[in-house]
Amino acid sequence: MRKVLFGCVWALVLAFAAPVLAHHSPAAFDRTREVTLVGTVKEFRWQNPHTWIEVHVPDAKGNVVLWGVELTSPTYLIRAGWKSNTIKPGDKVTVVVNPVRTGEPAGIFRKLILADGRELTERPARLGTPDSK
Amino acid sequence: MTRLPIHRLATVATALVGLAAGRSVVYAQEPAIPPAPMSALAPANLAKPRPAAPFNLTGNWFIDNSPGIQGWLFGPATIPKLKPEAQKHRDAYVKAIADGKVYRDDIGQCWPAGVPIIMTRVWPIAMIQLPTVIYMVSEFMNSLRVVYLDGRPHTDPDLVVRTFNGESIGRWEGDALVVDTRNFTDDPHHWVDQGVPASGELRIVERIRLINGGRTLEINMTLTDPKNWEGEWTGTRRWNRVDDIDIEEVECLPDLNEHLQSTSSKVHVR
Repeated sequence: MRKVLFGCVWALVLAFAAPVLAHHSPAAFDRTREVTLVGTVKEFRWQNPHTWIEVHVPDAKGNVVLWGVELTSPTYLIRAGWKSNTIKPGDKVTVVVNPVRTGEPAGIFRKLILADGRELTERPARLGTPDSK
Repeated sequence: MTRLPIHRLATVATALVGLAAGRSVVYAQEPAIPPAPMSALAPANLAKPRPAAPFNLTGNWFIDNSPGIQGWLFGPATIPKLKPEAQKHRDAYVKAIADGKVYRDDIGQCWPAGVPIIMTRVWPIAMIQLPTVIYMVSEFMNSLRVVYLDGRPHTDPDLVVRTFNGESIGRWEGDALVVDTRNFTDDPHHWVDQGVPASGELRIVERIRLINGGRTLEINMTLTDPKNWEGEWTGTRRWNRVDDIDIEEVECLPDLNEHLQSTSSKVHVR
């Protein structure tokens, strides 16, 4: 219980500390839930205002579901170690998302785990603090 | 004897016929065209003698998000008494949030955010100040906001093209830049904040100071919109200078939302 509570609090901290530069409302996503997607990349689009990943994910019934994952812009991903070829179609990946509240196969990005075990996140958008240089 | 050219004779003859018939004669006239203002970038305008500006806000700026989300949104606690039609929107917004839904996210459908929203979000803004004008380019869809400093008045309401960013006229007062923005669009996709609509009667006065050794912009905002709320709605935003980022090209392309399923989700209340 304590671990779950800590997880919820941490999710709130991240939500406030790292507002994603989005062109749409963030209220569509359930920030208290995480879904782990294990699948194959269909497309990785390196683009403003959002980068996105589409992932084919097998479900419990053996169907393959196409999930859409929304990320911030390349400006901030670059600062977190991403490149435009970090992933490509056909790559096996694990992606952790906060899903939309309706249960549709879409979510906002939390973490990527590559086949070699490397993990990538988004850099918290801490631009503009008085001590930024 | 002076001889009239043939076309002038025809005109005179037509007038005489008209007068003989007891009718007044109206000729097509050149429409009254207002004089064009001198461009803010015209060398002659830029070269006019003016007092030195107290500060220059040229640079890249990012809103200070250290106070948390309610520090840069207007926040429900600050919302003034809304007029009935505006209150309906606000009530629908509050209900949508309670139901886990999203109310009228027009920005997500690629409508312009407009002022004041581009001045209250985490999209960086590039500002370029000249003696006659300040150009602000938001990274949100590269939205352009122009603040004229060359002494021109707001445009005649019968001539102005109303916009989501409005028409901004600035003047220097002591150590502050005072920007008066009017002539907003009456488009129902223009919002002030969470569930509060903006109308063509919206007017925003910003008092901007450069503080913190030139690294922070403090913007005191006063909003009035007699169609949507009573009295004044005030708030303060701070923007910090960021020297390690440049504004990029950002566009809401037709295929953007096809790949962002959340924007077409059932979570939305249109």
